[in-house]
Amino acid sequence: MFSPGSSTLESTHSFLAAYTADRLPSAAAQKVSLAAYELLSNAMNYASLSSDVVLEIVQHADRTIVRTANDAIAARISMLREQIDRIRTDSEGAFVQELKRSMKGGHTRAMLGLARIAFEVGLKLDLDAAGQRVRVSAELRRDERR
Amino acid sequence: MTNLETLKRPDLPTVKLEFTQANSLKVSGTITSKEPDKSLGAFFRTVHDAAVSSRLPEVRVDLRGLTFVNSSAIRMFIDWAMWLANEQDHRYRLRVVTSPQVTWQRVSFSTLAHLAGEHLIIERTP
Repeated sequence: MFSPGSSTLESTHSFLAAYTADRLPSAAAQKVSLAAYELLSNAMNYASLSSDVVLEIVQHADRTIVRTANDAIAARISMLREQIDRIRTDSEGAFVQELKRSMKGGHTRAMLGLARIAFEVGLKLDLDAAGQRVRVSAELRRDERR
Repeated sequence: MTNLETLKRPDLPTVKLEFTQANSLKVSGTITSKEPDKSLGAFFRTVHDAAVSSRLPEVRVDLRGLTFVNSSAIRMFIDWAMWLANEQDHRYRLRVVTSPQVTWQRVSFSTLAHLAGEHLIIERTP
Protein backbone atom coordinates (compact mmCIF):
# COMPACT_ATOMS: atom_id res chain seq x y z
CA MET A 1 0.00 0.00 0.00
CA PHE A 2 2.90 2.37 0.82
CA SER A 3 6.60 2.53 0.14
CA PRO A 4 9.13 3.47 2.81
CA GLY A 5 10.11 7.11 2.51
CA SER A 6 7.15 8.01 0.33
CA SER A 7 5.18 11.15 1.05
CA THR A 8 1.78 9.54 1.40
CA LEU A 9 1.54 10.02 5.15
CA GLU A 10 -0.24 13.38 5.08
CA SER A 11 -2.81 12.42 2.47
CA THR A 12 -3.41 9.11 4.21
CA HIS A 13 -4.04 10.94 7.45
CA SER A 14 -6.53 13.26 5.78
CA PHE A 15 -8.41 10.28 4.34
CA LEU A 16 -8.39 8.31 7.60
CA ALA A 17 -9.43 11.29 9.72
CA ALA A 18 -12.49 11.75 7.51
CA TYR A 19 -13.15 8.01 7.34
CA THR A 20 -13.00 7.46 11.10
CA ALA A 21 -14.99 10.63 11.81
CA ASP A 22 -17.78 9.18 9.69
CA ARG A 23 -17.82 5.80 11.40
CA LEU A 24 -16.80 6.30 15.02
CA PRO A 25 -17.74 8.61 17.89
CA SER A 26 -15.60 11.78 17.87
CA ALA A 27 -13.21 10.81 20.67
CA ALA A 28 -12.71 7.32 19.23
CA ALA A 29 -12.11 8.74 15.77
CA GLN A 30 -9.37 11.02 17.15
CA LYS A 31 -7.73 8.11 18.96
CA VAL A 32 -7.80 5.74 16.00
CA SER A 33 -6.66 8.45 13.64
CA LEU A 34 -3.68 9.32 15.84
CA ALA A 35 -2.73 5.67 16.25
CA ALA A 36 -2.94 5.10 12.49
CA TYR A 37 -0.74 8.12 11.78
CA GLU A 38 1.93 7.26 14.33
CA LEU A 39 2.04 3.54 13.51
CA LEU A 40 2.29 4.26 9.80
CA SER A 41 4.93 6.93 10.32
CA ASN A 42 6.89 4.54 12.48
CA ALA A 43 6.58 1.67 10.00
CA MET A 44 7.69 3.84 7.10
CA ASN A 45 10.73 4.92 9.08
CA TYR A 46 12.02 1.50 10.08
CA ALA A 47 10.77 -0.75 7.27
CA SER A 48 13.36 -2.35 5.04
CA LEU A 49 13.73 -0.45 1.78
CA SER A 50 12.30 -3.21 -0.38
CA SER A 51 9.36 -3.82 1.95
CA ASP A 52 5.75 -2.94 1.43
CA VAL A 53 4.03 -1.27 4.38
CA VAL A 54 0.44 -2.31 5.02
CA LEU A 55 -1.94 -0.39 7.24
CA GLU A 56 -5.17 -1.99 8.40
CA ILE A 57 -8.03 -0.69 10.49
CA VAL A 58 -10.23 -3.54 11.64
CA GLN A 59 -13.53 -2.93 13.37
CA HIS A 60 -15.00 -5.63 15.60
CA ALA A 61 -18.15 -5.36 17.67
CA ASP A 62 -16.19 -4.81 20.87
CA ARG A 63 -12.97 -3.20 19.64
CA THR A 64 -11.15 -1.41 16.85
CA ILE A 65 -7.64 -2.47 15.86
CA VAL A 66 -5.12 -0.38 13.94
CA ARG A 67 -2.27 -2.46 12.56
CA THR A 68 0.81 -1.98 10.39
CA ALA A 69 2.83 -4.77 8.80
CA ASN A 70 6.21 -4.52 7.10
CA ASP A 71 9.61 -6.17 6.80
CA ALA A 72 12.46 -4.99 8.99
CA ILE A 73 15.91 -6.19 9.98
CA ALA A 74 16.20 -8.26 13.16
CA ALA A 75 17.97 -5.51 15.13
CA ARG A 76 15.15 -3.06 14.46
CA ILE A 77 12.50 -5.57 15.37
CA SER A 78 14.33 -6.29 18.61
CA MET A 79 14.60 -2.56 19.41
CA LEU A 80 10.95 -2.05 18.62
CA ARG A 81 9.99 -4.94 20.88
CA GLU A 82 11.99 -3.40 23.74
CA GLN A 83 10.34 -0.01 23.21
CA ILE A 84 6.86 -1.47 23.15
CA ASP A 85 7.54 -3.58 26.24
CA ARG A 86 8.68 -0.46 28.04
CA ILE A 87 5.65 1.52 26.96
CA ARG A 88 3.30 -1.30 27.98
CA THR A 89 4.92 -1.41 31.41
CA ASP A 90 4.74 2.35 32.04
CA SER A 91 3.20 4.42 29.25
CA GLU A 92 3.29 7.68 31.20
CA GLY A 93 6.92 7.18 32.18
CA ALA A 94 7.88 6.44 28.57
CA PHE A 95 5.98 9.51 27.33
CA VAL A 96 7.54 11.83 29.92
CA GLN A 97 10.99 10.43 29.24
CA GLU A 98 10.61 11.15 25.52
CA LEU A 99 9.46 14.71 26.22
CA LYS A 100 12.45 15.21 28.52
CA ARG A 101 14.76 13.82 25.87
CA SER A 102 13.37 16.36 23.40
CA MET A 103 13.81 19.16 25.94
CA LYS A 104 17.48 18.30 26.20
CA GLY A 105 17.80 18.68 22.46
CA GLY A 106 17.77 15.00 21.60
CA HIS A 107 16.19 13.71 18.44
CA THR A 108 12.54 12.75 18.54
CA ARG A 109 12.62 9.06 17.96
CA ALA A 110 9.91 6.64 17.02
CA MET A 111 9.29 6.12 20.71
CA LEU A 112 7.40 9.37 21.19
CA GLY A 113 4.85 8.41 18.56
CA LEU A 114 4.36 4.97 20.10
CA ALA A 115 4.20 6.42 23.61
CA ARG A 116 1.51 8.84 22.42
CA ILE A 117 -0.61 5.92 21.24
CA ALA A 118 -0.46 4.25 24.64
CA PHE A 119 -0.44 7.23 26.99
CA GLU A 120 -2.14 10.06 25.13
CA VAL A 121 -5.00 8.09 23.60
CA GLY A 122 -4.87 4.94 25.73
CA LEU A 123 -4.67 2.22 23.09
CA LYS A 124 -3.04 -1.12 23.86
CA LEU A 125 0.11 -1.73 21.82
CA ASP A 126 1.23 -5.15 20.67
CA LEU A 127 3.96 -6.55 18.48
CA ASP A 128 4.04 -9.79 16.56
CA ALA A 129 7.03 -10.86 14.48
CA ALA A 130 7.67 -13.82 12.19
CA GLY A 131 11.03 -13.80 10.48
CA GLN A 132 11.52 -10.37 8.92
CA ARG A 133 7.84 -9.53 9.00
CA VAL A 134 6.71 -7.39 11.91
CA ARG A 135 3.18 -6.39 12.79
CA VAL A 136 2.49 -3.66 15.32
CA SER A 137 -1.06 -3.15 16.49
CA ALA A 138 -2.96 -0.70 18.67
CA GLU A 139 -6.27 -1.79 20.11
CA LEU A 140 -9.13 0.40 21.23
CA ARG A 141 -11.81 -1.38 23.20
CA ARG A 142 -15.41 -0.35 22.78
CA ASP A 143 -15.73 0.74 26.41
CA GLU A 144 -12.72 3.05 25.99
CA ARG A 145 -14.04 4.84 22.91
CA ARG A 146 -15.28 7.94 24.74
CA MET B 1 -0.74 47.44 15.34
CA THR B 2 1.45 45.37 17.61
CA ASN B 3 4.81 44.03 16.71
CA LEU B 4 3.45 40.50 16.38
CA GLU B 5 0.76 41.39 13.87
CA THR B 6 3.36 42.65 11.42
CA LEU B 7 5.11 39.29 11.28
CA LYS B 8 4.93 37.41 8.03
CA ARG B 9 3.02 34.18 8.41
CA PRO B 10 4.01 31.12 6.39
CA ASP B 11 1.48 29.86 3.90
CA LEU B 12 0.81 26.27 4.93
CA PRO B 13 -1.66 23.87 3.33
CA THR B 14 -3.14 22.38 6.51
CA VAL B 15 -2.50 25.04 9.14
CA LYS B 16 -4.19 28.41 9.50
CA LEU B 17 -2.41 31.16 11.45
CA GLU B 18 -4.23 34.30 12.57
CA PHE B 19 -3.45 37.14 14.92
CA THR B 20 -6.85 37.55 16.52
CA GLN B 21 -6.08 40.30 19.02
CA ALA B 22 -3.06 41.99 20.52
CA ASN B 23 -0.33 39.44 21.20
CA SER B 24 -2.69 36.60 20.46
CA LEU B 25 -2.05 33.94 17.84
CA LYS B 26 -4.66 31.43 16.76
CA VAL B 27 -3.46 28.17 15.21
CA SER B 28 -5.99 25.82 13.61
CA GLY B 29 -6.07 22.84 11.27
CA THR B 30 -3.72 19.86 11.44
CA ILE B 31 0.05 19.42 11.48
CA THR B 32 1.06 16.27 9.64
CA SER B 33 4.18 17.24 7.74
CA LYS B 34 7.37 15.39 8.64
CA GLU B 35 9.40 18.50 9.33
CA PRO B 36 7.06 21.22 10.56
CA ASP B 37 9.94 23.01 12.29
CA LYS B 38 11.25 24.27 8.97
CA SER B 39 8.21 26.47 8.31
CA LEU B 40 5.94 26.64 11.34
CA GLY B 41 8.73 26.21 13.87
CA ALA B 42 10.67 29.01 12.22
CA PHE B 43 7.56 31.21 12.42
CA PHE B 44 7.12 30.40 16.13
CA ARG B 45 10.73 31.42 16.61
CA THR B 46 10.09 34.80 15.00
CA VAL B 47 7.06 35.25 17.28
CA HIS B 48 9.24 34.43 20.28
CA ASP B 49 12.00 36.81 19.17
CA ALA B 50 9.48 39.61 18.54
CA ALA B 51 7.88 39.05 21.94
CA VAL B 52 11.28 39.30 23.61
CA SER B 53 12.40 42.38 21.68
CA SER B 54 9.06 44.10 22.35
CA ARG B 55 9.23 43.05 26.00
CA LEU B 56 5.69 41.72 25.86
CA PRO B 57 4.36 40.51 29.21
CA GLU B 58 2.42 37.68 27.61
CA VAL B 59 1.84 35.86 24.33
CA ARG B 60 -1.40 33.93 23.95
CA VAL B 61 -1.52 30.99 21.57
CA ASP B 62 -4.97 29.54 20.93
CA LEU B 63 -4.67 25.92 19.80
CA ARG B 64 -8.28 24.86 20.24
CA GLY B 65 -8.81 24.51 16.52
CA LEU B 66 -5.65 22.47 16.03
CA THR B 67 -7.26 19.06 15.93
CA PHE B 68 -4.27 16.87 15.14
CA VAL B 69 -0.50 17.13 15.42
CA ASN B 70 2.23 14.56 14.87
CA SER B 71 5.15 13.90 17.19
CA SER B 72 7.40 16.33 15.31
CA ALA B 73 4.91 19.09 16.01
CA ILE B 74 4.90 18.27 19.71
CA ARG B 75 8.65 18.67 19.57
CA MET B 76 8.07 22.16 18.15
CA PHE B 77 6.03 23.20 21.16
CA ILE B 78 8.72 21.77 23.42
CA ASP B 79 11.24 23.92 21.55
CA TRP B 80 9.15 27.04 22.18
CA ALA B 81 8.94 26.26 25.89
CA MET B 82 12.72 25.76 25.94
CA TRP B 83 13.44 29.05 24.14
CA LEU B 84 11.43 30.73 26.84
CA ALA B 85 13.08 28.83 29.67
CA ASN B 86 16.53 29.70 28.32
CA GLU B 87 15.73 33.36 27.60
CA GLN B 88 18.05 35.68 29.51
CA ASP B 89 16.88 39.11 28.36
CA HIS B 90 13.11 39.09 28.82
CA ARG B 91 10.90 36.20 29.76
CA TYR B 92 7.25 36.62 28.85
CA ARG B 93 4.40 34.31 29.84
CA LEU B 94 3.36 31.87 27.15
CA ARG B 95 -0.34 31.24 27.63
CA VAL B 96 -1.53 28.26 25.57
CA VAL B 97 -5.28 27.91 25.21
CA THR B 98 -6.30 24.28 24.77
CA SER B 99 -9.56 22.43 24.39
CA PRO B 100 -10.57 19.54 26.64
CA GLN B 101 -12.43 18.15 23.62
CA VAL B 102 -9.22 17.67 21.64
CA THR B 103 -7.57 14.52 22.91
CA TRP B 104 -3.93 15.26 22.10
CA GLN B 105 -4.08 18.66 23.81
CA ARG B 106 -5.60 17.32 26.99
CA VAL B 107 -2.73 14.97 27.79
CA SER B 108 0.34 16.38 26.06
CA PHE B 109 0.08 19.92 27.31
CA SER B 110 -0.63 18.91 30.89
CA THR B 111 2.60 16.92 30.86
CA LEU B 112 4.54 19.59 29.00
CA ALA B 113 3.41 22.34 31.38
CA HIS B 114 4.54 20.23 34.31
CA LEU B 115 8.00 19.91 32.78
CA ALA B 116 8.37 23.42 31.40
CA GLY B 117 7.83 25.44 34.57
CA GLU B 118 6.02 28.62 35.52
CA HIS B 119 6.32 30.58 32.27
CA LEU B 120 4.15 28.17 30.32
CA ILE B 121 0.52 28.53 31.34
CA ILE B 122 -2.12 26.16 30.05
CA GLU B 123 -5.65 27.47 29.85
CA ARG B 124 -8.43 24.99 29.14
CA THR B 125 -11.45 26.47 27.44
CA PRO B 126 -14.12 24.43 25.62
